[in-house]
Amino acid sequence: MANFFKRYSITAVIAFLLVAAWVIITTYSTLLNPVIFPPALDIVKAFISAVGELIQGFFSSMGLLIPALAGALVTGIGGGLYFGLHEKGRAIFSPFFHTFSPLPPTLFIPYAIALLPTFKSASIAILFIGAFWPIFLGTIQGVILIEKHYWDNAKTIGVRGKDFIWKIVLPASAPHILSGTGTALTLSFIVLMMAEMFGAQSGMGHFIVYYTDFSQYDYVLAGLIFNSIIILMIIILFEKVKKRMLFWMNLKSE
Amino acid sequence: MVRLLDYSVEKEEQLEKLEAATKLEAKSVSFHYGETEILKDIHLEVKEGEFIVFMGPSGSGKSTLLRLLAGLSQPRSGEIRLNHQRLSGVSEELAVVFQDYSLFPWLTAQENLVLALKQKLKKTKTKKEIQQLAEEYLQLVQLGHAVKKYPGELSGGMRQRAAIARALSLGTEIILMDEPFGALDPLTRIQLQELVVAINWEQKRTIVFVTHDAEEAIFLADRIVMFSPGPPGIIVETIDVPFSKPRNRKQLFDSKEYIEFRDYLLGVMNKGVLERLNQSQQLLPGEGI
Repeated sequence: MANFFKRYSITAVIAFLLVAAWVIITTYSTLLNPVIFPPALDIVKAFISAVGELIQGFFSSMGLLIPALAGALVTGIGGGLYFGLHEKGRAIFSPFFHTFSPLPPTLFIPYAIALLPTFKSASIAILFIGAFWPIFLGTIQGVILIEKHYWDNAKTIGVRGKDFIWKIVLPASAPHILSGTGTALTLSFIVLMMAEMFGAQSGMGHFIVYYTDFSQYDYVLAGLIFNSIIILMIIILFEKVKKRMLFWMNLKSE
Repeated sequence: MVRLLDYSVEKEEQLEKLEAATKLEAKSVSFHYGETEILKDIHLEVKEGEFIVFMGPSGSGKSTLLRLLAGLSQPRSGEIRLNHQRLSGVSEELAVVFQDYSLFPWLTAQENLVLALKQKLKKTKTKKEIQQLAEEYLQLVQLGHAVKKYPGELSGGMRQRAAIARALSLGTEIILMDEPFGALDPLTRIQLQELVVAINWEQKRTIVFVTHDAEEAIFLADRIVMFSPGPPGIIVETIDVPFSKPRNRKQLFDSKEYIEFRDYLLGVMNKGVLERLNQSQQLLPGEGI
């Protein structure tokens, strides 16, 4: 912990100075438009009064994000394993992958709305499309790039079936699968904020759009701060999980 | 009488030699990598219980031949026969120890052995029995204290011990080893050489071992198969090692016969290397035009 403070002491000073500058400029000067850049105290007040709404928004956003990510993980890793291990199938389908994977998932919004019964299912579908490609392509790449040594080694001990997938292919390709998952996670926050701009009743993105319409920028900023804290926490959590799963890459002999 | 006795003893020895069955065989094997011919017309017989060492400079195809014997690659022409059957893929009757990647880094030493053992014993033994067996084999190579350690936490020597334990645990008659001690420090290397000699001697396992170290080859081998510098690699000579087993390292290395034999061996190897060098020097001016 002492180390943590030592390491980030300068970072903390810079952060403090930025906040101080905000407070001083917005409270004691007329340099900035007070509607768009409200005084710091107003933001704190807005945060306190809206905290219930923000938390509710967090839960409804997670209600979209979690099923979409879970679906993308299962289908992305499953499909990625299949196409990673089957060269012929990969050769046939990879032009489709290259065509569809770069499309922004938001392009599918009109169809998602037209085809799916509820706003929620449409949003989940859009989020799913966004998260699927990086995980799917990351898995394929991970499987293709498995070192020849591992294949030879697996062959000589005759590993087959479930063990082959769970004990060899998945761990060996885990670095790329997890890096794809990281990309999917970052991307899905962007898509989430967009998906909530149509039809949502609550949510982390919806909160900001809603108060922008009333020009209540103290609430907008409170929402921004809340969202960045949540996203940062999720990313840190993910990095921790990733490091734990790839523990074997950073072991040291005694 | 004496003569007769001598004669008949000799005859018996010959018989014994004849009786040692051929386990593994390469018949006019060649192998190409792209356009390059890596191995050319290889003939080789490995007898039951034998310790055979492939020796030669880098690029002579000795590791490639080991891969072919292991069924990891297929020869372009000729065939590999294991117990007189044509080998067309990896066989359960062979175990392989690689230079430094026989263990999966995400599994502990024990889990690595369990994964290998499970493929053979899934139907006959419980999970617990297999784990117990893995632990016993690790104890056998003095790794009892490291069963729960990951390869990344072990030293190079310990990793190779675990790899050898895995090969042993598979219970195969033949163990193939591809420069298994190439990355180890001299002392660890000596300890592990003693270990594989004991495995060959006490457990009667047939071993095919690749190295480019003459000392290692002489200490371990019954027969040394000498490769010419490739490509294409060919077998220049197969040399019986004239020292009886078990060998005492110090006595052996101090003896005059050992030094003579080593010089002879190095002479055979260097002759090939020098010829190769001369060839390429002669080629150079022509290539420049």
